[in-house]
Amino acid sequence: MSETPIIEMRGIVKLYGGVAAVDDVDFDLRRGEIHSLLGENGAGKSTLTKIMAGAATATRGEMRLDGKPVAFATPAEAMANGVGMVFQENSLVPSMTVAQNLFLGDERFFNRLRPLYIAAQQFLQSLNFNVDPWATVSSLGVAKKQMVEIARAVRQNARVIIFDEPTASLTPEEKHHFFSLIRRLKVDGVSIVFISHALEEALEISDRITVLRDGKLAASDDRAAFDRDRIITCMVGRTLSKDLYRKGEHGARKAREKVLSVQNLSQGKMVRNTSFSIYAGQITGIFGLIGSGRTETARIIAGITKRNFLHGGETRLGSRSVRYRVPREAVRDGIVYVTEDRKLEGFFDTMSIAENIGLNYIAAGLNSGLVVRTGEIVEVAKRWTRQLNVRAISADAKIVELSGGNQQKVVIAKSLAQKPKLIIFDEPTRGVDVSAIAEIHQIIQALADEGLAIVLISSYLPEILNLSDRILVSQKGRIVEEFRPETATEEKIMYAAVH
Amino acid sequence: MIGALSRLLDPLRGAGRHAITVPPMDGALQPNERLEEAPLVCSLASPDALTLSGPTALAASNSKLFAFELDAGAPREVGAFAADIVCAALSQKGELAVGLSDGRVTFRRVDAGAIAPSPLSDLAQFSCPTALAWADDGALFVCEGSQTNPASEWKRDLTERGSSGSVWRVNPGGEAQRLAGDLAYPNGVLALPDGSAIVSESWRSRLIRISADGATDVVVDDLPGYPAGLARRSAGGAWLALFAPRSQLFEFILRERSLREQMMREIDPDCWMAPALRPARSFLEPLQGGALKQLGVMKPWAPSRSYGLVLALDAQMRPEASAHSRANGLRHGVRSLVESDGRLIVASKGGDAVVSLALDARGGFA
Repeated sequence: MSETPIIEMRGIVKLYGGVAAVDDVDFDLRRGEIHSLLGENGAGKSTLTKIMAGAATATRGEMRLDGKPVAFATPAEAMANGVGMVFQENSLVPSMTVAQNLFLGDERFFNRLRPLYIAAQQFLQSLNFNVDPWATVSSLGVAKKQMVEIARAVRQNARVIIFDEPTASLTPEEKHHFFSLIRRLKVDGVSIVFISHALEEALEISDRITVLRDGKLAASDDRAAFDRDRIITCMVGRTLSKDLYRKGEHGARKAREKVLSVQNLSQGKMVRNTSFSIYAGQITGIFGLIGSGRTETARIIAGITKRNFLHGGETRLGSRSVRYRVPREAVRDGIVYVTEDRKLEGFFDTMSIAENIGLNYIAAGLNSGLVVRTGEIVEVAKRWTRQLNVRAISADAKIVELSGGNQQKVVIAKSLAQKPKLIIFDEPTRGVDVSAIAEIHQIIQALADEGLAIVLISSYLPEILNLSDRILVSQKGRIVEEFRPETATEEKIMYAAVH
Repeated sequence: MIGALSRLLDPLRGAGRHAITVPPMDGALQPNERLEEAPLVCSLASPDALTLSGPTALAASNSKLFAFELDAGAPREVGAFAADIVCAALSQKGELAVGLSDGRVTFRRVDAGAIAPSPLSDLAQFSCPTALAWADDGALFVCEGSQTNPASEWKRDLTERGSSGSVWRVNPGGEAQRLAGDLAYPNGVLALPDGSAIVSESWRSRLIRISADGATDVVVDDLPGYPAGLARRSAGGAWLALFAPRSQLFEFILRERSLREQMMREIDPDCWMAPALRPARSFLEPLQGGALKQLGVMKPWAPSRSYGLVLALDAQMRPEASAHSRANGLRHGVRSLVESDGRLIVASKGGDAVVSLALDARGGFA
């Protein structure tokens, strides 16, 4: 490794409306190293890396690339100098194919499509990403879009690649491939900035770790100087690990009555004759790799998608067979689904918190009288934002102005306002910072303690292991295994999910 | 409107109440090897009609009645009957009621494990007694499985989708009162202190409560097998035996009338695609124990015809725990069971064994 850092930032300040998003931060990135940048939402990680990649300009401070002062005005200028960034927000063109997105900006005047698709396929295969280059981006799920984003950055042969939450929507297997990929890039001399909320990932992959808190530098050191507790202490200024993964105080909760029985449910190739039961007063965790049919099953239950027209199986709510054509019917029966993709499906981002919660409240038919009273809606919104500790200036604040964690709490509040008896949480803590994760976990536990039936779909094994009272494993469209939390291990669950 | 049209299409789509589905064995019914690995009390051919007289257990083997001590259990024959014994119940006063496959319910006196004649007259008005239970007031609950088929023809009754069963209460004076009719093979009964009874209705895979005035309500619905014997549980609730599993294949056959009729007409009943009490012993039966094997374990939703399953029901009659002998096991076809002094004695009719399951201090499986 060279002594001169490839990127060196000194005294970086970035002000938004007089408020410092980044406040006097020093940061350096060495050649061929993986440097994790950690912090809660709003700590300034994304802002600092956007300055690095030319997506934002610093208010004060100096940045050097190869020892020479630089100030990139645009991402294209940064890329021309070998600094690329995989953004947390999706920056792909949805109406174009995967291959077209990969080669976007590199097209010739006349393009032959066949070589382009073949090259795209070979490139994706070399990264072990199972993405169809002919698919339009709008038809892809969150995880596959993220894979295309990563592939695009790698394809541009950048010397510095900044990954902002690259693994948030990847399965453990895909994460394994991704880590292999960035280790390979490191061997090739590429320097990596890695932003993640999953601390275990940062500890596993990093050479050095920098932690930001409230826009300021909290710690920066070699990986060996950190453990999980120290990172959390640096991030939030207190120890959170007990709150973060709080086991049920009396072990697994005892099942109450059976709320839902899914029997031989089928939908195309995604859900194949799957059966399981959900009980009140318990958290039923469902683990599986992407494509294992977890989300599709949940969406059938909630009336968002439909099962097979012929012999699609049965869903029994209590002793009643139900088949919902639209989600509203499920909501009125007390079944709500908290989506895995909150930005696309979770809320109307330009509407206020109160309006968002109010819409769900009205959809559930809970408003009193024929005319919807604004006061009633505001009151409901206030109650839930208070109960879930949504931190916003007011209930009139727009969702887009909130952090990821608070956005997720609003999505949960929207569901709870519908007075459900069964809630399906699909990846509830994806892209949420560490302290908000603890709060969301507490909310989920409290709901189970109150007697609600909870389904927790997650790709994050520690979350499944520590919250669930029962663990179901989904593979190839069906539930293949059930574990009790006291006997489950990550290895057993993964084995069941893969084999 | 759309809902009504949709329901019209249900028979074609296999949806709604025409769905060919079976409930999963998960949660409290999560498969295990408890029943398969339970210590043997004694070996007996097709044991059934298990009752308890102090430390001595009585069990039927075809037409003979055997007694054995629970701790040192070589069975000794204590009685023989003119027909196979289907069910039995012992009152606190020592009256043993025995239901026979010829339809009679007969009585004996039991004293310290010895059998003697009883002054009570036989009950001859039944054709298919399947379960008996004494109430606290000396009345006898009798489950009449079917009016059209004897107990030995239970497979035919199921395949015909029979629902001609009934539950009767025979007062100490001998007069019989029909409490409920049109039942789909009542096959187990537990008398409750308030005069009502919990009855297992096998072909509808449910438990119902029948009150003293004959009103019925469903207690547990949609069980994954065919329920049979019930026994009092000291921790509250009940023990329930399920003698065979439901399978999608058989649920499908039950909905195909012409196929069922042709099967009954042309094929030997032993070879019907129908539940069985015994695990398969013929290589000609490819489905038993087939389907999925994962983690080295045969999955319980394999389309097996026989299975061993005992449920612990809590005070609300909700399944709380279970003991299994899976598709690849032998202790199948459990029809009767009884709790005794910290253990559950189970008669596996298909496994030719009486076994003992240890219970913990809370009355669950140890």
